[in-house]
Amino acid sequence: MKKTSLGISLGLFVFLLAGCNNDSNSEANADADSNSDGGEERLSVSIMAPSFAAEPAGEDSPALQAIEEYTNTDIDLQFVANANYEDRFNVTLASGEFPEIMVANKEPSFINAARDGAFWDLTDHLDDYENLSQANEIVLNNTTIDGRIYGVYRARPLGRNGAAINKQWLDNLGLEMPETIEEFHEVLRAFTNDDPNQSGKDDTYGMVVSEWEGPWNTMQVWMGAPNQWGFDENNKLAPDFTFDEYREALVFFKELYDEGLVNEDFAVMDSGQWTEPLVNQEAGVFVDVLDAANRIQNQITEGYTEENQILDVFGAVEGPHGLHTLPTAGYAGMLAISKTAVETEEELKRVLQFLDDLNDEEVQNLAYIGVEGVHHEIVDGVLDITSQADGGTKFESEVSDLNQFQMAIPEENFMEQPQTALQEKAAALMEENMEFVVANPAEPLISPTYTERGQQLDNIIDDARIQYIVGQIDDAEFDAEIERWMGAGGTEYIAEINQAYEESQAAE
Amino acid sequence: MPKVDVDHSTSIEPISVRKVSKWKMLKRDKWLFLLLLPGLIWFLVFKYVPMWGALIAFKDYSPYLGFWASDWVGFTHFERLFQNPDFYRILKNTLILAFYETIFVFPAPIILALMLNEIRFTKYKRIIQTVIYIPNFMSWVIVASLSYVFLTTSGGAVNVIIESLTGQTFNFLSSPEWFRSMIIGQQIWKDAGFGTIIFLAALSGVSSEQYEAAIVDGAGRFRRMWHVTLPAIRNVIVILLILRMGNFLDQGFQQIYLMTNSLNRSVADVFDVYIYFSGITQGAFSHSTAVGLFKGVVGIILILSTRYIAKRLNQETLF
Repeated sequence: MKKTSLGISLGLFVFLLAGCNNDSNSEANADADSNSDGGEERLSVSIMAPSFAAEPAGEDSPALQAIEEYTNTDIDLQFVANANYEDRFNVTLASGEFPEIMVANKEPSFINAARDGAFWDLTDHLDDYENLSQANEIVLNNTTIDGRIYGVYRARPLGRNGAAINKQWLDNLGLEMPETIEEFHEVLRAFTNDDPNQSGKDDTYGMVVSEWEGPWNTMQVWMGAPNQWGFDENNKLAPDFTFDEYREALVFFKELYDEGLVNEDFAVMDSGQWTEPLVNQEAGVFVDVLDAANRIQNQITEGYTEENQILDVFGAVEGPHGLHTLPTAGYAGMLAISKTAVETEEELKRVLQFLDDLNDEEVQNLAYIGVEGVHHEIVDGVLDITSQADGGTKFESEVSDLNQFQMAIPEENFMEQPQTALQEKAAALMEENMEFVVANPAEPLISPTYTERGQQLDNIIDDARIQYIVGQIDDAEFDAEIERWMGAGGTEYIAEINQAYEESQAAE
Repeated sequence: MPKVDVDHSTSIEPISVRKVSKWKMLKRDKWLFLLLLPGLIWFLVFKYVPMWGALIAFKDYSPYLGFWASDWVGFTHFERLFQNPDFYRILKNTLILAFYETIFVFPAPIILALMLNEIRFTKYKRIIQTVIYIPNFMSWVIVASLSYVFLTTSGGAVNVIIESLTGQTFNFLSSPEWFRSMIIGQQIWKDAGFGTIIFLAALSGVSSEQYEAAIVDGAGRFRRMWHVTLPAIRNVIVILLILRMGNFLDQGFQQIYLMTNSLNRSVADVFDVYIYFSGITQGAFSHSTAVGLFKGVVGIILILSTRYIAKRLNQETLF
């Protein structure tokens, strides 16, 4: 016994020594290199990013180490659980202890900090880098603050919204995939009333919605409402709820609710439980991002095949004013570079080079599927993420969330496992959606009033919409809520958005 | 050291204290003051120094620029608060909830303690006490989830029972009418049991001779409770009421935040939640500090006025 423990501690000691040795070597090397030409020293950056896994990848992850090796950078990851990210971001701003790189959302606190000079203006720098220079102009424009770019966006598909639907129920009822809003309504009715699961009991309903307002936003665009802002008859920008199409959508939603086609308690349903009725096959339709269908299908039958596939997807249905759908902003937050942590322009260039390198295929592969032979195998050109088997703890603790500081610019470029039919269809629909997405003309514009009290303004209308749907308020009271919105700062908000829009038009 | 003890015993007599000058007193009781020092420092460092931070209510505070570089803006944030059309709604909601809490939640542990005090079967009393303490150790998240499970209209136990009895369901979770009752009910459920501890402690100090005398005088159970038990714990009640007044406008952020949804926000908007939304999620630190200061001022006014009333009623007060 004694001997083995001695052996272990000796081994550890040697290992530690070797570790120290390595470090000092590399430092010495870095020094030597930096002396020789100044560009080769190992960069070290801290990155603050949201995480979704319970135990995101850490320092000892081979995948992270490989990324560090490839980019010649020491990466210190500061993961924050996604649910608390906004809070922690604000607290970090207040603490003054900035990491070099932070994932920032275009929220008031970030806008204010960027205006105060907390982050580097990257507008004139991106063109100098191979990958970053290929960033999408529209998305870049969406990320701007006062016309300037303060972060490299994390790309997301624009046409990502759609719906999952229970195909088995459609087949049981002899119904086709809905293509118009009327057909959609009929399908929901049949799912609720015509016993789609053939159980002989009244145990199903049409569509599950949670307290999260996303599905309503998507469906009102199907109905022809603008995407947050539209042009009124005087060619001025006006918020979506001032349009007749929005009210038409409201009436439609209320019908769905009154007919019992939507879960009665949706306004209090936690969004964490949103998918459950679909997984348990109590509800048949789920409006969200298209890629959700595959995840839910996997929850229904792990490793499903075409034979036992229950769900199908559709992009959008044609409303009374044609075929429209809601795009995403095309990005989910951006990587902003702190001016306190990265002081000189020289350092900035080095950090940007690092960000640029992160978009290389090699790094994307490491971040999404880990290290070959450790986390995945490639047999005859087919990827098998072996570390995801048996619950995937190895994958979770060593690879998951490394993609949270990936930008996918110009495009996602990593190897994927063979796609299921459902995934392929979802991907095809995302492409298809691009043709009829409704852009938000005010996406890049900033209003000081909204920056200051956007949350209260949004709450007023989001709440009024839900109150209208469940029948707590009628049309007149909805108008009164709009008045309240106007009085709470909405009037200024509209004026500021229009002014910002004119200025941006004049600038072009 | 013995010398100190002797001095200390004399200092208890009020007359001798008055004669000694302050400086002499300090010198005489130096060891006692030294003992006080850690507590004082703690108060200074953790309670008084951070108060300077409240000054950002008068600045246009930007986290990046820091405290000194941010501009002074005077009372702008207070003006904005009072001009906000939602201010009166929030104030009204806060006051109504605070009022309900004072008249329903505050007496609950007193009543419970009185009831427990009447139980003569000790073992049974102990078991009851232990059981009613348990809810206090559950977090609001758990209380909120339990409420959801029991009260939801789609298969919640409470609604299933009500439906079988009356044929209709009540939307407790999402109707503005039920919100306040639900909040008050949750608070009583969670805290009333644990709150009995302090009253039971006070009750244990009541000498049994008084009860015996009352029994000899022919007092029944309720007479004894009214004339012996309640007067005995009156001081404790008054002191706790004064302390409660200081937190009058505190609704407990967690509970309200967890129970709020789109359909009951009209009655659920209170200052604590408003501060969270404007301060933490929108990063308007100065504005939310101004709201917090406003709450603090109201708290002080309420404490002082309760104390004044208590004094007029010849009650002992805290200070």
